[in-house]
Amino acid sequence: MSEPTLSAAKSAVRMNDAMLSSLRPPTLRWYLLAFFLGGVVAWGLYAFGYMVSTDMSCTGLDRPVMWGVYIVNFVFWIGLSHSGTMVSAILRLSRANWRRPILRAAEAMTVFTVTIGGLFPLIHLGRNWVFFYLIPYPNQRGLWPNFRSALLWDATAIFTYIIGSSLFLYLGMLPDLAVARDRCAGWRRTLYGALAMGWRGTAREWLIFQKASTLMAALIIPVAVSVHSIVAWDFAVTVVPGWHSTIFPPYFVIGAILSGVAAVITLMAIIRKAFHLEEFLTPLHFDNMGKLLLVIALLWSYAYFVEVQTTWYAHEPIEWEVFSFMAGRYTPALVLMLVGNSLLPLTLLCFRRIRRSVGAMLVISLLVNVAMFIERYLIIVPSLSHKNMPFVWGTYSPSWVELSVTAGAFAGFALMYTFFAKCFPMVALTDVRELEARKVLVPFARAELPSIAGKEGGDD
Amino acid sequence: MIETLGIFPDFESAGRAVERLVREGFAEAQITSLTSVSYPDGALVKTGRRSWFRWLTLGCFIAGAAAGFALAAGTAWLYPVQTGEKPIIAYYPTGIVTYELAMLFALAGTIVGMFLEMGLPAWRKRPYDPAIAEGCIGISVTIHPGGEAVVCGREAETGACVGGVVSLSAGEQKSRAEEIMREAGALRIVAEEPS
Repeated sequence: MSEPTLSAAKSAVRMNDAMLSSLRPPTLRWYLLAFFLGGVVAWGLYAFGYMVSTDMSCTGLDRPVMWGVYIVNFVFWIGLSHSGTMVSAILRLSRANWRRPILRAAEAMTVFTVTIGGLFPLIHLGRNWVFFYLIPYPNQRGLWPNFRSALLWDATAIFTYIIGSSLFLYLGMLPDLAVARDRCAGWRRTLYGALAMGWRGTAREWLIFQKASTLMAALIIPVAVSVHSIVAWDFAVTVVPGWHSTIFPPYFVIGAILSGVAAVITLMAIIRKAFHLEEFLTPLHFDNMGKLLLVIALLWSYAYFVEVQTTWYAHEPIEWEVFSFMAGRYTPALVLMLVGNSLLPLTLLCFRRIRRSVGAMLVISLLVNVAMFIERYLIIVPSLSHKNMPFVWGTYSPSWVELSVTAGAFAGFALMYTFFAKCFPMVALTDVRELEARKVLVPFARAELPSIAGKEGGDD
Repeated sequence: MIETLGIFPDFESAGRAVERLVREGFAEAQITSLTSVSYPDGALVKTGRRSWFRWLTLGCFIAGAAAGFALAAGTAWLYPVQTGEKPIIAYYPTGIVTYELAMLFALAGTIVGMFLEMGLPAWRKRPYDPAIAEGCIGISVTIHPGGEAVVCGREAETGACVGGVVSLSAGEQKSRAEEIMREAGALRIVAEEPS
């Protein structure tokens, strides 16, 4: 008998081909990119090795500023990680059909950003080789019962989030791995076969899979919120001026979502171009993500306004001193932060034409994350520079070691993402194909309108 | 108990096969679909919608909360340190460790429960065809030994699990199912050998 020739099957084959195109053997350009990124990572590792072999004096850290770019990186990367899984989970729960092509990019981003973010407290330790002091354990120093350190909160929360977001990513990939298994040979077939665990796509498997996806999405959202709230508490529970604020946890969460949504848009634009996914990542997806970014930018602006307005109105001397110092010494950075996080998104993203322009969205999303990095810097460094005691006021500038480690982190993230994109489907292909399979034309008055077949309340 | 699988080029012919199989006397519980995308329940076959894995999630959540509390508060009780009139059990860390471990266990429990309920990983080789990944639809019929009522969940409606073909021998049931699927437009039949 002949193979299927009907349009549905043809469409499935064509969509599989297009969406699994990222798994094709690497090109020369891919190798060059991986080599370049690997080189930057190696330089970052060298800088880190130099710091370990000398001491922390090679960094810009000195009293009173003992938290510098490493902690800025920590907050920034954890913030980036926030949105990938969370956006995916929210869109999954709200059954937004346009979510389908962007899920994988967002979920993978979370796993790699939280991995990078989780490294920075360890890098920051100074004596990195005794990192296990972070973990309470029974010894003669009586560390076992010491669950009081804020670092331990971070360690617990980040560990939960890494495991949770990895499971969430894997769960979403399960049916796609089965498709990849059926289309590949050699080591890839073995790998995908092992990861697919014998998935056949029976009606029962799909039913349980849908229920599990919904439940995982519902569970991962409070975890994501808790992670960044706990990072915010690292600051808010201290009595450092500029940090001791009740708005910090929600402000951090909003900032994290803002940077995360922007990062998803950036990755969407890059993946779209790199893997020729123009058919699946359409201007509609950028339009909708642009609307999301607009709303979050509005929320961030409101939160920042409330924070500054309260400080200004109360005019408490030390709080005002910190703010004045920050606004005076870091004026260009502050302006860039306000433009990138607030002014630019709030004005430009109101226009549909801009939201639908992939190039414009790429620029805006990149600028948002540059501004977010600056925001993290302006939260951490000025407050430590001008604490309560004027005789220990000081300044901070990152050294080449810290900047190199930071560059290594960015390259490391890009390298991990590049490898992931070569090894696993970058678009949730069964999700996208499901939408296509359920699309029907419904007669409506004089026209036939497309509709998505499904039961009221969903199938799960 | 053996399984026979028909591979169909499209949704319509697969649906036609299911209808004919049911009309012939095969129970809904004996028939399932194999697809590479999810279809609404009942579009091709009906599955029992009840599942138990979410109870495992709840159980794991409670176990995780207990483990987190024991880790943070229990050790503080067992190894009390000088706290300067502050509580021996620190509220913030205990709350955070308890919450995070509860969620971690719940997330892990969801995945474990899902796989357990799906019966994955599959250790036994079961009928399958890679064409399913390319958009073909598989309709699988589980053949029970002749004379034996088909067993399914307790929540199933009376009679739903007893197919009219049970009086036939397993071999006859298999031949009948394959014949129906071919008539409905199956491209090929992938049959499991009786164990």
